[in-house]
Amino acid sequence: MNTTYYRLELRRLRRDPVTLFFTVGLPAFFYLIFGAQPEYADDAVRDGNVAMWIMIAMAGYGAMTATTGIGGAAALERMQGWSRQLGLTPLRDHEYVGIKAATAVTVAAIPIAFVFAIGAVTGARAPLHVWAFSALALILGATIFALYGLSFGLAFRSEAAVSAAGGSLVVLSFLGNIFIPLTGWQLTLAKFTPLYGYISLARRALTGGATLDPNTGDLIDEPLWQVLANVSFWTIFLGVLATWLVRRGRGRQ
Amino acid sequence: MTQEPCIRLRGVTKTFGSGAEAKQAVGGLDLDIGTGEIVALLGPNGAGKTTTLDMVLGFTEPTSGTIEVFGQSPIGAVRAGRVSAVLQTGGLLRDLKVAETIELVASIHDAPLRTAEVIERAGLEAIANNKVQTCSGGEQQRLRFALALLADPDLLILDEPTAGMDVQARHDFWTAMRAEADRGRTIVFATHYLQEAEDFAERTVLVANGRLVADGPTEQVRRRAAGRRLAARFGADAIESAASTLQALPQAFHFERQGDRLIVESADSDDIARLVLGDLGGFDLEIEPASLERAFIQLTADSDIDHDLTEHDATNQTAGSPS
Repeated sequence: MNTTYYRLELRRLRRDPVTLFFTVGLPAFFYLIFGAQPEYADDAVRDGNVAMWIMIAMAGYGAMTATTGIGGAAALERMQGWSRQLGLTPLRDHEYVGIKAATAVTVAAIPIAFVFAIGAVTGARAPLHVWAFSALALILGATIFALYGLSFGLAFRSEAAVSAAGGSLVVLSFLGNIFIPLTGWQLTLAKFTPLYGYISLARRALTGGATLDPNTGDLIDEPLWQVLANVSFWTIFLGVLATWLVRRGRGRQ
Repeated sequence: MTQEPCIRLRGVTKTFGSGAEAKQAVGGLDLDIGTGEIVALLGPNGAGKTTTLDMVLGFTEPTSGTIEVFGQSPIGAVRAGRVSAVLQTGGLLRDLKVAETIELVASIHDAPLRTAEVIERAGLEAIANNKVQTCSGGEQQRLRFALALLADPDLLILDEPTAGMDVQARHDFWTAMRAEADRGRTIVFATHYLQEAEDFAERTVLVANGRLVADGPTEQVRRRAAGRRLAARFGADAIESAASTLQALPQAFHFERQGDRLIVESADSDDIARLVLGDLGGFDLEIEPASLERAFIQLTADSDIDHDLTEHDATNQTAGSPS
């Protein structure tokens, strides 16, 4: 891979500390409020506890915010003529996507590491393999939201659209079952949304494939295929959509 | 001047959209540009210049016809580093520094020139550590020029390269470009300033409405395109003979009559003015430069056989090419 380009991409991100602060600080803050404080924080979830369960979701929230921002910014720079500049070089589309994906994964890792570190010292508890699996799932799965931001930006072609993509994450967060535990038809609907699949997969090692019923505190079984179908569908759908939109945008701008 | 063919266009058309809303930007272009030539693609806005250059750079595919650049496809020639371009606007990352931008694009190329050399040749030493967003329009254009140089291309394409530059920046830009031409690079640039074509290009290709209107040594094209328009009034007794005299002048490329006014367009306005005020008995003489747009319309009309077009019709004719 082109390490110069990757290194400069990270340097660009460092020049925007405000955004970085919010993508790292906000999920950490949410975790401290929702995860570490409540009296049920240390209630058991299989071999771990509720604080761990919430910590994974908040790290995922941070990773999602970060990667959606990267995808949206990529869409903007392409629309502002950078794709034409790159069109004058031997760089292929998949190489560009590779560099952006590597950047997104790196940036996703920052809130995940930070929230996990805070979780580790404030009472989140689980076997080591659960920490490792959930971190890995969160990092790789964050690709979905890089594609989400990219598609949003390329489809609507404006800076406002990229802000709107960021705003839509709040809606996805509620449907992702990470702020208020959902039940009934809301939970059924939620299972079709991307953040839900992403977080469910990351929590899987902790929960063993169940979701928490907020009324009873019981675990409800959730088949693995449902989670995998959700994550695969959104990855493929958004990947195809983004590729199509990149091609469409190549002509005159 | 023409040796090895560098750009070769055959029957190239480009239509945007489809059905009733289809708009033809380029309508059948045949063009050969040889290695080492400096060619201006001159035409008014909307003439199809950018679309043509976009096709030569492989950004868009022609609707029909073929384009070869150094004997291969446009995309192939770009990837091989034989062609590069200075783009019209945009195309830079505002939060990178000038030197970083060059470093980034250099990292993509297979065998780029040294960053330091490119910075020097584009005159960017003083602002190498400035962020792109703080650079003036002229400085950003020099940066685009530096990026184009990285591939050490044999063919350099410039699309309206001095748009938005002040006089000094424009002068500096063309000085740098002349140095590149002296190194033997082929340069093709689009412009709607006749002056730029005149100062820099040996050959000028005039396009209007997606068609080639004139193609030849710049000096020849200039003489046709840089006409002046003379209008004078005549008394009823003098106008008939004045009309027939003016109409027959070999150096007048356009003649028309509006009531008691006779209008002539010519590159040789002094002689005609003398004639009009002297022997022909004209008065209320007005001389103004014929706009490039009007020269284009005129040349378009000339190139199609229809010489009966009146000025009025020609001006209103958006297609510009009758029948």
